Amino acid sequence: MPENRLSEPEDPFLSVLELQMGPQHPSTHGVLKLHLKLEGERIVDCEPIVGFLHRGLEKLAENFTYPQVLPLTDRLDYISAMNNNTGYCLVVERLLGIEPPPRGKYLRTMVCELARIASHLLWLATHALDIGAMTVFLYCFREREQILNFFEEICGARLTVSYPRIGGVRMDVEEATLEKVYNFLPEMERRIDEYEGLLSENRIWLERTVGVGVITAEEAIAYGLTGPSLRGSGVPYDVRKHFPYDAYPEVEFEVPVGKNGDTYDRYKCRLQEMRQSIRIIRQCIEKLPEGEVVSELTPDLDMMPGGRMLKAEAFNEVAFISFLQEAKEIFPKGELYSAVEGAKGELGFYLVSDGSGRPYRLHIRAPSFIHISAIPKLAKDHLIADLVAIIGTLDIVMGECDR
Amino acid sequence: MRLSPTYLLFKDLVTGLLITLRTFFRKPVTVRYPHEKVQVFPSFRGRHAMVVDPETGKPRCVACLKCSVVCPSRCIKIEYEVDEKTGERRLREYILEALRCVYCGYCEEVCPVGAIVLTEWFEYSGRCREDLIFNLEKLVQNWKEHVAKWDKEFYENKYWVLKGVPLKLKPAPRRMGLVVKIKGVKVDG
Ligand code: SF4
Ligand code: SF4
Repeated sequence: MPENRLSEPEDPFLSVLELQMGPQHPSTHGVLKLHLKLEGERIVDCEPIVGFLHRGLEKLAENFTYPQVLPLTDRLDYISAMNNNTGYCLVVERLLGIEPPPRGKYLRTMVCELARIASHLLWLATHALDIGAMTVFLYCFREREQILNFFEEICGARLTVSYPRIGGVRMDVEEATLEKVYNFLPEMERRIDEYEGLLSENRIWLERTVGVGVITAEEAIAYGLTGPSLRGSGVPYDVRKHFPYDAYPEVEFEVPVGKNGDTYDRYKCRLQEMRQSIRIIRQCIEKLPEGEVVSELTPDLDMMPGGRMLKAEAFNEVAFISFLQEAKEIFPKGELYSAVEGAKGELGFYLVSDGSGRPYRLHIRAPSFIHISAIPKLAKDHLIADLVAIIGTLDIVMGECDR
Repeated sequence: MRLSPTYLLFKDLVTGLLITLRTFFRKPVTVRYPHEKVQVFPSFRGRHAMVVDPETGKPRCVACLKCSVVCPSRCIKIEYEVDEKTGERRLREYILEALRCVYCGYCEEVCPVGAIVLTEWFEYSGRCREDLIFNLEKLVQNWKEHVAKWDKEFYENKYWVLKGVPLKLKPAPRRMGLVVKIKGVKVDG
């Protein structure tokens, strides 16, 4: 309208400016969208909008047999797929009452910790890049590449590994590979020293991280934060210690905690955690028992209860339908929840079984989703530049949040 | 913090710069991809292929439909016919949509005779959808291409051997391990 056009433009420093950040913003780590309300550059309010990467994974799982769901869990937190696989395997194992043999347990623990290091390396790389430290980004990817090479050597895939299996792991690891991993550990320790040398005392890093995104222990618990984001506030909660699974009760490690609950403490926590992971992997390789890697009671991959009733000309729709029509009651009924300490936090699987060969309902407690809900709290009264640091410090991955 | 000796003497920055300087004299880890190629590890889960029996020259598949049932993305379709007299199944067509595949390796793990396999061939593309929907002919072609590049006398896949897995969980014909002899296969395609 003509009157409006003539009126003075509003002063941006006095009025609230609404800004959409993402979902294509490079430092929102995937497809997270933030609806910001700004006063100048100060964030007054912030509303995260999720769901851009929704693939209906939980619904999809209801149509798959138990072994078939496993490759789906790779796509949750695709940076540390081993942890997701293990978490899912654990819940099904508990449903069926299977116990993996010791070698399977140790191998699973070893690959989980390797995945944790890989995930923390990626976190450090992108977090540092967001804040402006380019060098660390390149260094971290150098080491991550080596870990991914180990995965490739162990199971033939780098990211979507599907290596753990219900009742153990899919196959044994060669001695030569174990030796390579073992020799890599001291080098990795030296590399962590390098990252610390670059960042821990650096004045720019300190300015950008100390006192940014503070959350107290009570608030962190109230928001449901887990993993390093919670431990940065000084709460020593770790699923590996409190509800141990696999070989964790048999290895020694500490749970590093922070004090102030700011970005710097969470950074320190994760770096310490990488060192502890190295310690766990070393113990796993040293103590690795002999024997089989999968329990004998494990269901076959092609779980087909009863006879096969496939017609000639069978296209796999027919095969699939005949499978669904099989008698139910092949597995115990019930509901159970079991969690693992994923790289991002407590990754839980809630499974409802109606006795058939498929999950009746599979719910995934994804730490990233819960961490995103804490962004408005952490970002309040910070500048936009700090928001990038806050998203980084929570270590979110959208594949897991949106599933 | 501002008055600490670390801050005043720029110790933090010097430490960091020394680390980057040290890296300057190290060998670069970059691989110049199209010119240099990384050797993938054995049993990498890459392009699918249908193993051909070196003696008869026929695909080894016995149309048991295990791979089709186990596949999580349901990308394998099999057509077969049953021999009236012997009751033997004969494979007529095998369609594998590589576009839908998630490379989980389940199909090669369950195959009782080691017919479908994920080869170490990792770079492949197509100009259209149809190029990446492999039928039996293309799968056999893939195997021949793979064999032509394979310089050892045998081909063995870790997912066929399944080291450390109890016998009970392996398909019966594979319990003793399965090796494909390559020498003598005609690879002129
Ligand atoms: S690798 Fe997995 S998804 Fe691909 S064809 Fe085989 S079973 Fe199906
Ligand atoms: S599992 Fe092997 S033999 Fe059976 S149908 Fe598939 S490729 Fe053929």
